[in-house]
Amino acid sequence: MTAILAVARTYVVTACRERETLFWFLVFPLLLLTLLALIFGNIGESGAMTYDIAVVNLDTAPGAAAAAGVVAALGQLSVAEGESRPLFRLHTAAADSDPGTFLAAELDALRIGRRAAVVEIPQGLSASIAAAAHGSVAAELAVRVHKSGGRTSSDMAASIVEDIVAQVDHSLLVRMGLYDEARALRVERLDLGANAETFSYVDFVVPGIAIMGLFVSGLFGVPGTILFGRERKVLRAYWVTPLDVPHYFAGFALGHLAICTIQLVCVWALGRFAFGAHVALFRPLPLLVLLLASVTFLAFGFLVASVARTANGGMALANIVNMPMMFLGGLFYPLGQLPSALRAIMMVNPVTYLGDALRGVTGTAAASFPLGVSLGVAAAWIVVCALVASWRLTWDVGR
Amino acid sequence: MKALGTLLRTEATVFRRDAMSMTFTFLFPILFILIFGAIMGNTGTGEGSRLGLVVLSGAERAALDAILAESALTVREMANPDELEAAVTANDVDFGAIWDGTALVFAYDVRRTQDNFTFEELARGLASRLDLAIQGRTSLLGVEVETEGGEPEADWLTLVIPGIVAFSVLSAGLFAVAGHLTSMKQRKLLDRLIVTPMRPCALLGAIVGVRLVVVVVSTFLTLGIATLVFGIAYDVSWPHYVAFVITATLGSIGLGAIIALVVRQPSSASSLANVLSMLMMFGSGIYFPVEVMPRFLQAASHAMPLRHMADAARYAVGVMDMSEARFWAICGSLLAGGLVLLPLLARYIVRADRR
Repeated sequence: MTAILAVARTYVVTACRERETLFWFLVFPLLLLTLLALIFGNIGESGAMTYDIAVVNLDTAPGAAAAAGVVAALGQLSVAEGESRPLFRLHTAAADSDPGTFLAAELDALRIGRRAAVVEIPQGLSASIAAAAHGSVAAELAVRVHKSGGRTSSDMAASIVEDIVAQVDHSLLVRMGLYDEARALRVERLDLGANAETFSYVDFVVPGIAIMGLFVSGLFGVPGTILFGRERKVLRAYWVTPLDVPHYFAGFALGHLAICTIQLVCVWALGRFAFGAHVALFRPLPLLVLLLASVTFLAFGFLVASVARTANGGMALANIVNMPMMFLGGLFYPLGQLPSALRAIMMVNPVTYLGDALRGVTGTAAASFPLGVSLGVAAAWIVVCALVASWRLTWDVGR
Repeated sequence: MKALGTLLRTEATVFRRDAMSMTFTFLFPILFILIFGAIMGNTGTGEGSRLGLVVLSGAERAALDAILAESALTVREMANPDELEAAVTANDVDFGAIWDGTALVFAYDVRRTQDNFTFEELARGLASRLDLAIQGRTSLLGVEVETEGGEPEADWLTLVIPGIVAFSVLSAGLFAVAGHLTSMKQRKLLDRLIVTPMRPCALLGAIVGVRLVVVVVSTFLTLGIATLVFGIAYDVSWPHYVAFVITATLGSIGLGAIIALVVRQPSSASSLANVLSMLMMFGSGIYFPVEVMPRFLQAASHAMPLRHMADAARYAVGVMDMSEARFWAICGSLLAGGLVLLPLLARYIVRADRR
């Protein structure tokens, strides 16, 4: 027992002393959680962005109601409310400037990213709308929204302007008596996949990051320690002592589980206290899934170590399998329709099942697979990995 | 000259034998494109989004059918709401709609935080047209969207690939010095080289030369696979592209030189390079648009060289427009960084007395 504890302590101390190991085990999961929570946690919230919008109103004839309505609606969104910044920063032509020249200049500014969108209200728009209203046909002229290709901010701004124009259109129809509010279409929303009242992206991603951390620890930690230890003859030094492989393995596994526990506590604490996540990781069923995940990825690490001939080869192999397994496991977002080859990888990937099971048992999102199936797949991976590793893994150079 | 030739051959052999460098330089971008292209190819455009539709019995559907026929949605009709809910949660469809003749219920999987914004936009447009159609109207005030410059129909993948190209250049340059040169230093290979008539600039020239070739091949492979597998046709401006690749490689090697000057241990230098490249990868709008980030991250991204490199790469491949002045300012800054920092590297690092 003393030997096992000594090996476990050595594993933990070594991991904590190596900066690169520490980065991948601890800093990277925490960093990723922080970034994902900051980026996707407040998507669509107001005050996150102010768009530079140019408005070129060429329909300045007296009584041009539609044009005035669009300008007024855009203007309302350029006023700050409370402490949040306004959605739009409007740029309009000076009273004495030529609108055509102003439009050309603003389009140039749009192309190079200085404007998010340019709204052009063509001459005669209001008259065209009035004619269309009387004839019950579509207007010949429309508001032109210019956006810049390849810029997400421009796509978002153009989309918002389209919504605003649709609102102005609605109010025009109502004012002209062409739209009966009493017969308006009822539009409702049905949220699925999780309790929409309590769901937050942070709750969804914390179990994903927890599983990712365990996966990365097993995938890189095991081959790193075993293969470099074998190559540098550190393991050989163990074998000249009374320590045998089963005791070394037990100590190694214990140390690995200790590192995983530290990692989990840190991920949970960051999610809970920095981003307000409510994920009940430390209950019997989630703990069982987490324990199974730790053992599965420990076994997977041994599988990688057993098929690689050199330490560098092992790390390269770990890097190659890391990305497909991590991103085809649905850890950070649910996976949609996939080509059959990628779907096959997803369906045999233990990360998929363990992430899904952890979300299911913590109640953060509905599980896509029955719990028994998820645990069964993970257990099957442990058996396969253990068999291959016990067959192929050599614990010493030339042994 | 002979020494440079020998060093070039040696550096090329070292790189070829380094499984990690080969993985990160060539395999990583390819794997990334193949996986993410398949997962998120159309994200952001809404094109080809899959709508699950349930029309309850007795509901008048002519207007809805006409609107759906004109839309870019792929419609899959289902027998009942239960089947629809199962399809939405299993991601067999992107979002759902239930039409009973008076109300339109849209069903979303709330877990798809990144995608739902697009689906909600599509649903809003659909509902708006149906609302008017029911009253026998069309909208009076229409909108025409026109794209000025750049790629009009750029989806997420089209924008990300030039970012990956920029990241590959950064990684290759950063690790060339931060990982490779500091490792040579620790293994005392530099000490042995320095006592030969080799000039430090010949060694740096060999490293830069090999990395330039590697970067050119890697970026061509990345763009080639994007074109072949996903049919993305980039309108590459070759003079801009060549200028970008050369200056960005030199600038990245310069950044690596700063790390090597600050951190002497190769493992620490690699770790720091790793941390910095990861931070820049997420903070520079490579995977997620900078615009959706919190304000302080948006501000911080301006200080990251990778953000400007990615913008320059997007400009060079015709995805995004920018002023010529800004493009050349980015290239000029990267070149200046390389030209200033490389001699410093030669002076302080390629020296026998530094440990």
